Amino acid sequence: MDQPQLWVSALTQGSFFGLLGLAYYLVLIGAGFFNIAVGAYASLAGLLTSWLVVEKDFSLWPAIAIALAVTVVVAGATELLVVRPVQRRGRGSELAALVSVTALLFVIAQFAGFEFGYTTLPGQQLLDIEPVQIGGAIITANALIMIVLTFAIFLLLAMLIRTTRAGRLLRAVGDSNPVANMLGLPVHRVRLIAFLLCGLLAGVAGLLFSSQAGVSSSSGLGWAISGFLAVVIGGAGNIIGPLIGGIVLGMLQIFVPYYWGGNATNIVLLVVAAAFFSLRPQGAFAQRVRV
Amino acid sequence: MSTEVSPEHSRAATPGPLTPAPAPSAAPNPSAGRESARRSGVHDKGSLMVAVVIGALLIVWAGNNSYRYSLVQTAALYALIGVGVYIPFVMGGSLSLAYAAYASIGGYSVALIASKTSLPVWLGWFIGAAASAVAAVILGQLTRRLAGLYLACITFLFAQAFQSWLNSASGITGGQSGIGGFRATSIFGWVPHHRAQIVMAVVLVIAVGYAVDRMRLSPWGVTLRAMREVPAAVEASGVRVSMLNLVALGFGAAVAALGGSLFTTVTSVVTPGTFTLNLVFLAVFMALLGGQATPWGAIAGAVLIVELTLNVPSLETSGSLLVAIVVLVVMLVAPTGVLGIVNTGRRRLASVVADRRRADTPIDQSDGDSLA
Amino acid sequence: MTAGDVLLSGRGISKRYGGVVAVDSVDVDVAAGEILGLVGPNGAGKTTLVDLICGAQEADAGTLSLQGRPLDGPSSRRAHRGLARTFQHPQLALSLTVAENLQVGRAARRNSRFGRMIVSGLAGIFRTEPADDLRDIETVAAELGITRLERRADALTLGEQRLVEVGRALCQEPLVLLLDEPFAGSDAESLAGIADIIRSVRDRGHGVILVDHNVDLVASLVDRMMLLESGRVAFVGTAEECLASDEMRRVYFGAADDGRDHGVLRRTAEAVTPSNAGPTASGAQVAADA
Repeated sequence: MDQPQLWVSALTQGSFFGLLGLAYYLVLIGAGFFNIAVGAYASLAGLLTSWLVVEKDFSLWPAIAIALAVTVVVAGATELLVVRPVQRRGRGSELAALVSVTALLFVIAQFAGFEFGYTTLPGQQLLDIEPVQIGGAIITANALIMIVLTFAIFLLLAMLIRTTRAGRLLRAVGDSNPVANMLGLPVHRVRLIAFLLCGLLAGVAGLLFSSQAGVSSSSGLGWAISGFLAVVIGGAGNIIGPLIGGIVLGMLQIFVPYYWGGNATNIVLLVVAAAFFSLRPQGAFAQRVRV
Repeated sequence: MSTEVSPEHSRAATPGPLTPAPAPSAAPNPSAGRESARRSGVHDKGSLMVAVVIGALLIVWAGNNSYRYSLVQTAALYALIGVGVYIPFVMGGSLSLAYAAYASIGGYSVALIASKTSLPVWLGWFIGAAASAVAAVILGQLTRRLAGLYLACITFLFAQAFQSWLNSASGITGGQSGIGGFRATSIFGWVPHHRAQIVMAVVLVIAVGYAVDRMRLSPWGVTLRAMREVPAAVEASGVRVSMLNLVALGFGAAVAALGGSLFTTVTSVVTPGTFTLNLVFLAVFMALLGGQATPWGAIAGAVLIVELTLNVPSLETSGSLLVAIVVLVVMLVAPTGVLGIVNTGRRRLASVVADRRRADTPIDQSDGDSLA
Repeated sequence: MTAGDVLLSGRGISKRYGGVVAVDSVDVDVAAGEILGLVGPNGAGKTTLVDLICGAQEADAGTLSLQGRPLDGPSSRRAHRGLARTFQHPQLALSLTVAENLQVGRAARRNSRFGRMIVSGLAGIFRTEPADDLRDIETVAAELGITRLERRADALTLGEQRLVEVGRALCQEPLVLLLDEPFAGSDAESLAGIADIIRSVRDRGHGVILVDHNVDLVASLVDRMMLLESGRVAFVGTAEECLASDEMRRVYFGAADDGRDHGVLRRTAEAVTPSNAGPTASGAQVAADA
């Protein structure tokens, strides 16, 4: 593990998973729900941007704006048209909501494949700057943006959630939707905002990551699982949890294939997940979640 | 404090002759329960008859066309995986996503037994089912205290890892090219071919559907379905719900493995890509699409999905998209699924007919009431 | 009344949530053929105590024994030892029929262990409804006056749901039956019916723990009564002793009254009950306070 270049890759991937985890985290604390469509938002944003640029000759920034807007709208629709109506059916709706959102994930993936093609599209170069060299490792512009932006977003959100009224509302609503409802808190609005933010974050993550690795319509599912694992490994007790979980996951994704070959990654992932689920389901770095 | 069991206690343990009903006005109807059970038994047979007829039609439709053969085989595979999903998911409320792996286990165990040993090939069917069940129980055990998504996640990772392992362990599994050209399953020396294989596949699907429907109505199935809605009450009645959940996952995995064994037996080849991860989602959607009331819904969903994705030329690429959209719409608008809609329609029709009849003979009302 | 041997016995049962003590070293005994009433205002710890006895929640301290043998482990194990319960909010599988809900109580014994569950599942393929099960379910239903067992549970009124819950518990053939507010939501007629059922269960030698807000109703049924206040036992004795006690006055009226006038107590207790029985009203109050 003395290869600086691998560390850069691990950090980049880790940032990506961390952002996805953060998107999960927002909906998790706001609505108590694991929104597995996060992976679909990310792949949709990446695909749509590339498709607009490559096939429709859009220039980059308008394409990004459109893609992010679409992703946010889809995230809002997830809450308004899928999760909320299904959860309203009452008892046993938790699984129904999960399956509906999984179906949505599938719909988005199939739609993207149908509309944008089933091949992998190249990502777009976001900034035209030379790769930076730091101690034997070359950091491309895209990787640099990914890492810097991720840390900035985490810092910003951590501050917002801790200090602003909206952040406190988010946590109050997430503790118990029914109680918050009884207290007259704007549960519906807070949940919707959580979903919209989730869509935005996932969209940004997808954009940034596909600019280095490319993106295809079938990327979404794997990304959804990775983001979930980031939350599980890091723990949902603290906003930094998903970031740490994401970086751990990024290291696994980079170092395991390097040392043990590509097929080992999935097996190591299974082992790590099994270990966490059975030993520390609240995450490695979190104290017990508030009761 | 006495540790002896007094006669009173033993009487308490097995309640003696009953005291008369406290409210004589509410006349007890002891035969009501049995009647309802009998009625559901009749329904049972009705679905079975429909399934047999449709199965026979499918066999006739397939004729000697090898493409249609492969469609029926695929539908049989999907149906068995769908029924496998049905047991823990619809009845017990546990979403596992490892069914592609379970089907692979079923397929590879048949292939391995046939190609590397001289044991009877049908042994592979049993070994595959048992191995899948064990894997499902272990995966379920890891997440038994956690929310449903954890099970979905660990099983998905298992399916991924299992596929990677199939690819890399070429000494055992033949790597990416898999195992092919092995002995066919023989039954007392008789090796079924083409048409016989199709008939066997259809018969197996119908038999499994019927068996699982009977399980659904049995005390075991009743307990499992109650557990999905009120786990605390079932636990308080004396059933370890986490354990019952594991058993349901195991049964489901075994049925999916049968599907894999069947498919591999018929095609005589299995590769890591034979049972793709997408298959899992299709399998989950089958029950939702077809209807959750009985396992026949999953089977109907399987036939529908094969038809939509593989057999409608105009939908060649958009079939999967259509399936996904239809499933989402069904989940949101008609949670009872296609068979549920058909049933409701039938009931409506029946009550319309009854209303007509009542209008004709206004004195006789009891008939209409019983149908309503 | 037959004073049997002690069936269920608990010593020093305690439970705290964070800094709040919900149940504070409570001793409880139930004998065969006895109904023990558990009364107290909202938040006194009645339901928590039932949960602790049944194993739905884990006690922080204390021991339980049934027929002299220690009683511990998950609630399913305790159920097999002979406990059965109903819930404050009825826990019926609403998409199942009444008969199927009753069957859950019967089926438990055949699904007690891993191996048995497998056997029971496979056996279901060949024999869906064991005849003796059906007979027992029908007998219990007849006893409770539950008719039309083929109805789905979501078509039942709240009172009927409670009745089916009692039936499910009776199908387990328990030694001790714990009833958490079986009267809530019932009309006067079915109220009398449930009271008769509880008595007949007692007369067959079961022990019964009865939790309810309605002090008068409980007093008219039970052999002994236990008054809980803030998780502690404030008084134990016969119904008459309990109703007449200073503790009863203090707990329900805030101050001890020297005049021992049962009539006043009863009238006032009745006046108190409706506000106690309305958790939503007090919940709204809490919300408004916050």
